[in-house]
Amino acid sequence: MLQCIFLISDSGEVMLEKQLTGHRVDRSICAWFWEHALSQGDSSKGITFLACSQVEMPPLMAIEFLCRVADVLSDYLGGLNEDLIKDNFIIVYEVFEPTLVLVITNQFLVNVEHDFLFERATASCVPWRTTDTKYANNEVYVDLVEEMDAIINRDGVLVKCEIYGEVQVNSHLSGLPDLTLSFANPSVLDDVRFHPCVRFRPWESDQILSFVPPDGQFKLMSYRVRKLKSTPIYVKPQLTSDAGACRISLLVGIRNDPGKIIDSITVEFQLPPCVLSAELSSNHGTVNILSSKKCSWSIGRIPKDKTPSMSGTLVLETGLERLHVFPTFVVGFRIMGIALSGVKIDKLDIKNLPNKPYKGFRALTHAGEFEVRS
Amino acid sequence: MAPPAQSHRSPSPSQPSGKSEVSDLKSQLRQFAGSRAPGVDDSKRELFKKVISFMTIGIDMSSVFGEMVMCSVTPDIVLKKMCYLYVGNYAKVNPDLALLTINFLQRDCKDEDPMIRGLALRSLCSLRVANLVEYLVGPLGSGLKDNNSYVRTVAVMGVLKLYHISASTCVDADFPSVLKHLLLNDPDTQVVANCLSALQEIWSSEATNSEEASRDRETLLSKPVVYYLLNRIKEFSEWAQCLVLELVSKYVPSDSSEIFDIMNLLEDRLQHANGAVVLATTKLFLQLTLSMTDVHQQVYERIKAPLLTLVSSGSPEQSYAVLSHLHLLVMRAPFIFASDYKHFYCQYNEPSYVKKLKLEMLTAVANESNTYEIVTELCEYAANVDIPIARESIRAVGKIALQQYDVNAIVDRLLQFLEMEKDYVTAEVLVLVKDLLRKYPQWSHDCIAVVGNISSKNIQEPKAKAALIWMLGEYSQDMQDAPYILESVIENWDDEHSAEVRLHLLTAVMKCFFKRPPETQKALGAALAAGIADFHQDVHDRALFYYRLLQHNVTVAEHVVNPPKQAVSVFADTQSSEVKDRIFDEFNSLSVVYQKPSYMFTDKEHRGPFEFSDELGNLSIGTESADTGVPGHRVEANDKDLLLSTSEKEETRVPTNSGAYSAPSYDSALVSIAAPQPQSDLLSINTLAPVIASQSGFAIDDLLGLGVSETPAPAPAPSPPPLKLNPKAALEPSMFQQKWRQLPISLSQEYSMSPQGVGALTTPQVLLQHMQNNSIQCIASGGQSPNFKFFFFAQKAEESSTFLVECKISTANSKAEIKIKADDQSASQEFSSLFQSALSKFGSP
Repeated sequence: MLQCIFLISDSGEVMLEKQLTGHRVDRSICAWFWEHALSQGDSSKGITFLACSQVEMPPLMAIEFLCRVADVLSDYLGGLNEDLIKDNFIIVYEVFEPTLVLVITNQFLVNVEHDFLFERATASCVPWRTTDTKYANNEVYVDLVEEMDAIINRDGVLVKCEIYGEVQVNSHLSGLPDLTLSFANPSVLDDVRFHPCVRFRPWESDQILSFVPPDGQFKLMSYRVRKLKSTPIYVKPQLTSDAGACRISLLVGIRNDPGKIIDSITVEFQLPPCVLSAELSSNHGTVNILSSKKCSWSIGRIPKDKTPSMSGTLVLETGLERLHVFPTFVVGFRIMGIALSGVKIDKLDIKNLPNKPYKGFRALTHAGEFEVRS
Repeated sequence: MAPPAQSHRSPSPSQPSGKSEVSDLKSQLRQFAGSRAPGVDDSKRELFKKVISFMTIGIDMSSVFGEMVMCSVTPDIVLKKMCYLYVGNYAKVNPDLALLTINFLQRDCKDEDPMIRGLALRSLCSLRVANLVEYLVGPLGSGLKDNNSYVRTVAVMGVLKLYHISASTCVDADFPSVLKHLLLNDPDTQVVANCLSALQEIWSSEATNSEEASRDRETLLSKPVVYYLLNRIKEFSEWAQCLVLELVSKYVPSDSSEIFDIMNLLEDRLQHANGAVVLATTKLFLQLTLSMTDVHQQVYERIKAPLLTLVSSGSPEQSYAVLSHLHLLVMRAPFIFASDYKHFYCQYNEPSYVKKLKLEMLTAVANESNTYEIVTELCEYAANVDIPIARESIRAVGKIALQQYDVNAIVDRLLQFLEMEKDYVTAEVLVLVKDLLRKYPQWSHDCIAVVGNISSKNIQEPKAKAALIWMLGEYSQDMQDAPYILESVIENWDDEHSAEVRLHLLTAVMKCFFKRPPETQKALGAALAAGIADFHQDVHDRALFYYRLLQHNVTVAEHVVNPPKQAVSVFADTQSSEVKDRIFDEFNSLSVVYQKPSYMFTDKEHRGPFEFSDELGNLSIGTESADTGVPGHRVEANDKDLLLSTSEKEETRVPTNSGAYSAPSYDSALVSIAAPQPQSDLLSINTLAPVIASQSGFAIDDLLGLGVSETPAPAPAPSPPPLKLNPKAALEPSMFQQKWRQLPISLSQEYSMSPQGVGALTTPQVLLQHMQNNSIQCIASGGQSPNFKFFFFAQKAEESSTFLVECKISTANSKAEIKIKADDQSASQEFSSLFQSALSKFGSP
């Protein structure tokens, strides 16, 4: 199993070393790893978690574990960066301590609990929940968070469009509450995955989520919805080359009004290396060109009276008549108040609670990997 | 606790300037030591934190040891934890403190609070001080019997730690059998899970020298244990579930209803939030159904969606690990994923290693219905900013063309790439066009017209230049300028740095000469002269060879250099099918991510033949072939034959296969049948063997051979020919392991070694080499002077009957103790003398 875990800063410095077994792993392995990672063009930002093993093991067991540790740490420290880790050295060390030899400690891993560090093993029939939780105000929030991935090809055809969504719950409920959540249209979900607290049978028979929630924030379920027919906005690039220069124009507008405001619209693209210089301007929002030839156009909301457009000229390398390598436009947006997949929560029932809790629902869709090729 | 990081760029501002602060802390701690005032624990916590933070930045805090221990006489868990962290750090480096620490921890192991008992026990076991193990046995023994499950959980892991520090102490205290009892009886699943992992580790390494341990290890895979664990699977933590699923994937169910029961029970595991559980379940399902073609295919359909979801959720690292597994499945059964091709479209922001996998999958799933879309998509990548990916995608287009779907349109597209006038694009396309022409010579006219327009001066890459020159030579009759282009390239012979290009140039100019002699003669002369004067050995040799060939007879030379060619039907695969099967058997492990079987990247000491893994893949196939009796239906190796391993698919295509190649999978077949059943069954199946052979008549000579060798011969056998061993015998470690378990010892002897032999045996390796020269292969070795231990095997030259040998050599008294197990026991005496004579020659010049 895992023999050693290293934490490496974004400059390649080993910040922490945790040997898990008697057989020490030499720290020099980090330098080797770092060199290799850099050569792969992996510009890692933030902290890198590196686990070493000399034996075969299920890869996801290690990766899931490291991700979980990172989540726990970032939750506990309120972020994850070099300074935070250096300031909280003991805590970070101690996080690895209960996981000695085998990565198995229920209380530590099943759910992020703020007191995990000095956790007390409590006898409870539900392993992810302590029995003695008490709140003056009982409240539970359910968020539908969706990410839209789309590819629009050179001819403007939507070749792929799907949504990855999560049901995130933030629960502050006393005792051992029993919740039932149902969707208005569960049939649109293509594939689902559940938090261990979800009972399988009710979902099998009636597509109902029945569960005793862990305390605090957790991911109840994730799902995928395939084969969506359209995107909320369109992005139309046009590039025409002539005699060593290329005219570029880009139009952005609403294709399918979701009924809610679309905001934080951005378009980013990387100019090909053969472009010497670029001059870009827009009738709405701001356009930036970084020295790495990365361009970003932040639009925000689409105004009512006009269609945002950006245009400009790219000067090509000498000797190059036409542009052969075309940029891909990566689009960002956010829509509050709606889940674009069409998934709707029907109702949430709570049993086993003395007084009526407050229930809150929200939905949010944002662009995931949304790209338009030219 | 590991020594803390020393390399701090900016030490924290609270770092003490000198000794005075340490002594300050010391006196403050002393002050609080006896105090029971309210709030004193909080002040202690602050001080403890300081001590530990100093410790982690490398300041020697051992001087406050006494005060720390005194202060931690308290029920406060936080203080206890910090104190354990502290004492654990210093006990290892400071033997004087170690004994003090042990006293302190032993006392806490008897505390009222189970949490403290557990923590103390954990810290005690983590000390890893070898000469103090005797102090561990007592607390561990009572920890295992503790009425609190947390303490038991810790104690079980403690046993494993003890085992690693001192295996004999652990075994002598009879801890393994206590764990076995807990495994089957403890109400707490965490204890059960820890027992399972501890026992697996202990018994696996004990199994090398104890028959009993290896039998014990077998019991983990027995039906009662497996069922007991499966029935409680939902109570286990997600990590423990992975452990159980991994164990169950090695279990061999007795019939198909058992398989269905297991799959029904575990189906919801595919929807678990933890990807590791999903993947472990996937592996189990695939392994269970290997012998059931239809169900196996349904399993693919069932696991498709969860795996695709896993790819799109989670961190890039998680997706990559899942994608690698998906890649493996797609390569095995592309038709099942044909409708999901859009999932393998590359996203702009993805790292190139992800794109590369996806491109391979897109190539694999292309069929009549989706080729157009896939090729369109790939062509968009050709204009990608990422040049390596642009190259890969052009290659992918070419590969799809070679798969025969819609070649016409694809060739057009490839030729369009040339209009992009990008060097790397042109280079890739040239190489592909060359391959295409080798497979589809009928396209030559279209391609040649376009390729002819490319100036060789614009092409720098050796591979592309070689491809262009090959085409010039091969199709010189259709290309007007061919001799002149070649001539101009030859004029610049000295500027041509790549030997590959020069070699191609020689051949091309020869071919051109045979077709258009008057125009080429001059160029040929120049090329041969330059070639013979070339400093590169191969180029020189080829030029000389051509020259002499031409001198000898021009017609013969033409037959040699430019014979009529057959179109290539299938290009060779880069990875052998055996390797692919091996990787599939190791599903849900790092081999899949690295695309290499584990023996290629793990150390020998970390796997060896005694690793706890059996290749079930081969086993179940074997059972199937015996059940049906007629493997003839496999001749139509269509795509749906998922159940066949790739290597078998190949075999069926080649009806006459030599024995050496197919040996491993088929002799495993028989052994596996023997495994779960008593001896009588073995016999009945053996009598079946000739029947199978007569019906199928291909590729199972070995099966027959093995079967006959075990059958008691009814007629008196003629005197056997002298035993000859196969010098290239091969045996999988797991097969060795399996056979070693199943076969009885047929011979056990002791030889004395010659003094020269003893003298030469400094490391195990020297003997291995020697025995290998005598056609006896080593599969594992170990030990240090004076005691060595080896496992050897050998195979008969004519048939795949195997001999297994355990050989213990003690150089102290010059003795070699050997145990021989053999498929063909009648030959073991003869083998023994062969072995002895080989051994006696060791060391002699």
